[in-house]
Parts: sequence; C-alpha cells; structure tokens
Amino acid sequence: MFIDADYGHKPKLGQIVCGDVFMNEKIKNENRLVAVLSDGLGSGIKANILAKMTASMALNFTVNNQPLERSAISIKQTLPICEVRKIAFATFTIVDTEFDGFTRIIEYGNPQFVVFRRNQLLALKTVVNAENELSVSEFNAEIEDRIILFSDGVSQSGIGRKDMPFGWGNCEMIKYIQNKLTHNPHISAKDLQKTIISRASLNDNLKPQDDTSCGVLYFRTPRQLILCSGPPYDKNKDAQMVEMVSNFPGHKVISGGTTAQIFARELKRPVEVDLSNVSPELPPIATIEGIDLVTEGILTLGKSAEILKNKEHNGVSSNNPAMLLSETFLNHDKITFLIGTRINEAHQDPKMPVELEIRRNVIKKIAYLLEKKYLKEVEIKYI
Amino acid sequence: MKKHKVTICTGTLCHVMGGSELPALSQFIPPQYLNQVEIKGSPCINHCKNQDMKPPFAEIDGDIFCEATIDKLVKELIKRIENDS
Repeated sequence: MFIDADYGHKPKLGQIVCGDVFMNEKIKNENRLVAVLSDGLGSGIKANILAKMTASMALNFTVNNQPLERSAISIKQTLPICEVRKIAFATFTIVDTEFDGFTRIIEYGNPQFVVFRRNQLLALKTVVNAENELSVSEFNAEIEDRIILFSDGVSQSGIGRKDMPFGWGNCEMIKYIQNKLTHNPHISAKDLQKTIISRASLNDNLKPQDDTSCGVLYFRTPRQLILCSGPPYDKNKDAQMVEMVSNFPGHKVISGGTTAQIFARELKRPVEVDLSNVSPELPPIATIEGIDLVTEGILTLGKSAEILKNKEHNGVSSNNPAMLLSETFLNHDKITFLIGTRINEAHQDPKMPVELEIRRNVIKKIAYLLEKKYLKEVEIKYI
Repeated sequence: MKKHKVTICTGTLCHVMGGSELPALSQFIPPQYLNQVEIKGSPCINHCKNQDMKPPFAEIDGDIFCEATIDKLVKELIKRIENDS
C-alpha cells in the first residue's frame, strides 16, 4: 500500500503567507507516515509562526513515538491562550498512519476531518476527551481510502453569502467531494486538494476571507515508474538493461541520447526525434515504441531537479521536456532509477559548460527531492 | 524527385556546443526547396567520441558536417539541390 500525500493552501485576501501549516514526514524504516495540519489564530505572519511552531512540535513528538495524547497535551500547554477570546493560539490535527493501514488521528480545535472509503463517507469511532478537548479516532485504512484534512477556511468559505449564510458547511462539502470521487475514482491527492481549495475560494468569490488549506492522504496501490539513464559500465550488459526496462511493470522513461540508441538497437525499433516542437533551452524529446517518454540526459535531468526543488511545476502539461519529466515523476509513487555508470568521455573536457554535471550526482539530487519533498519511494540501481 | 536527407544531432554535447538552434533548420530553407529536403533528428549520431571533430554535428546524405550552423547547412543544401537540376 502506498500513501499519496499532498496539500495546498491559499492565504486570506491581502496576506502574503498562510496562517495554516501542513507538514508531513515518512519514516522509512518504520513504514509510517505522520501528517499534521495546524491553523494559527488570526492570519498573516503571526498566525503562520504559531501554526508552524505547533505543527513542527506535533510532527516531531509523533515521529519520535511519543504517545499521541501526551504530545497533544504538551503542545496545548505550551501554546499561549488568547486573553480576549480565551482560546488557544493554534489548533491541530495529527495523523499517524502505518503502511499496513492502522491509523490514529488526534484533533484539537480543527473542523472534523473526513475519511472516504471509495466514494462513501466512513463513519469513525471517535473518543472525545472532554477535559482537554481532544478527540481521538482510530481505524484501519484500506486501499482506495482517503483522509481529507482541512482548515475552517474551507468549511466556512462563503460565509455571509445569501445562498449560504453559514458558509459552505460540512454537509455540502462532503457532497461535493463525494461527487468528485464518483466521477473520478482515482483522482490523485494533488488534484483533489486543488479542486477543494479552488471551490472554497470560489465560494468566497475568489477573495478568501480566511486562510484556506486542505491536505489529502490517499491510500493506493503504488504507481510504478522506471527511469533509465546512461549506458552500462560493461557493454555486454546492454541487453540486460534493455530487458530490465522492457519487463518493468509500469511507466518507462529513458533519459539520455546514447541510452536511447542502445534501446533502439536492442529492440530493433526506430527512434524518432520530434523536431516540430523545440525550445532552444533543452534538446527535444524523442519517441521509441514501447517507451513512454524519451528525453535527452544530463541537461533535462538537471533542469528537472531545479523544477522539483523550486516547486515550479504547475500541473499544466507542456512541451518542455524537463516539465514533462517532472510531471511524470510526480504522477508516480514508486520510482526506480536504473543508472548506467559508463563515463561519457566526450563530457570530460574541461572546456565544456559546467551544466554537464556528473550523472550520478544529479540523480542523487532528484532522488533526495522526490523522497523528502514529495514523499515518493525511491530506489537507485547502478548497472 | 530526389530528396536530400538531413540528420541533426540533438545530443547533449551538440546542444551545448552551439547546436541548440539547428532543429529549427526547416524555417531557414527557401520555401521553393522545402519539398526536396527531409529533415530528421537523432538523439546522438556518435561523432562526439571522435576527438578530431568539433560539435555540433549534422549529416547531409550521409556526409558529416562538424561545427554545423544553420547558415552552413542551408548553403550546402542549396548547392546540392542546384547541382541536381
């Protein structure tokens, strides 16, 4: 089982930062994922700092296996209480989930999260601790379950409008999500989170009245991707490399001109370069039958690492090879890099531009970003 | 009618060594000659291993051109087409 996690937010109109913070971390050797959504009181920088403080405390306590209730109580005691309103400065929801599905969720002051099993709302047993206002829910997640966390900016969006005087409301929101899931049962966490946020801001006539954020955890069978780049160290292994990629159960990407030619030769299929769509920035993409994407190597990989680092991808498919490659990475859960280690002599001349980095370093950079920033499962194999 | 086959290398080395504009070659061929030219790209035409030649590379009817520019290729193509007639 794989957990596809993504979040997004829109700050209140006029603010440059959002007062809601979503953090998550995958603990690889324990097969766990911890996610936290925190909403700081008010908006702007102050709310953002409060929320960030709360979220990082909650995340680190949970990652280090402190009992959820105890960490929640510690956080609550640390948070200052607003003197005027007598409420704590930040609310939070902590999700602690194991990859076999066992999930615990602790909530303090946020609107009630929702869990969907396929397109049906899942009723959860929730224990409320009246003394410290914590609610604890436990359940066993199955494949195609989704946990949706959101701040009150979502559920109360549109408040004061004639047709929704009390805002969007949980009921209407659930109906909206249900509708989305019925029409698009395999919608990714990213797309679902985006539609919910854009709908909430639409309720406010695109002028959000509060910080609006939404995080989605989607349990699914992993979507696999293999990226093959570089010729093998030993020429005799060419056939083995091609075979490994051809037999791979999932999406296949080749990155590198020489690599593409090895495939064309071994598979006896022509490789065609698409010259109709070229940008001076990067060499164009090519096509080989049976391979889903063929790009140039080191420059495209380098650019793609930059896009992933700066979160420049906008979800719009474009013809830019690096953008296409980054999109492909993000649409998959389990990514295998099959990296050939033969040195390209032609790149070793000191007169060459510095962009011609060492392949292994660029791959390591991409793998690190995918693992840490986008919570993908990554494996690097050298050949 | 005989067509002249042009292969443009779109490999990494040719791209960074000044070949990034070459894929746009067809825009610079006089329109009356366009139907006599066939332009293709290749991920790498393997001349970069040869230390004696300088990228970017292109081939016209199998002949290698090093340090190729659009200007150079267009002139060569016009020469070949006019030789045919």
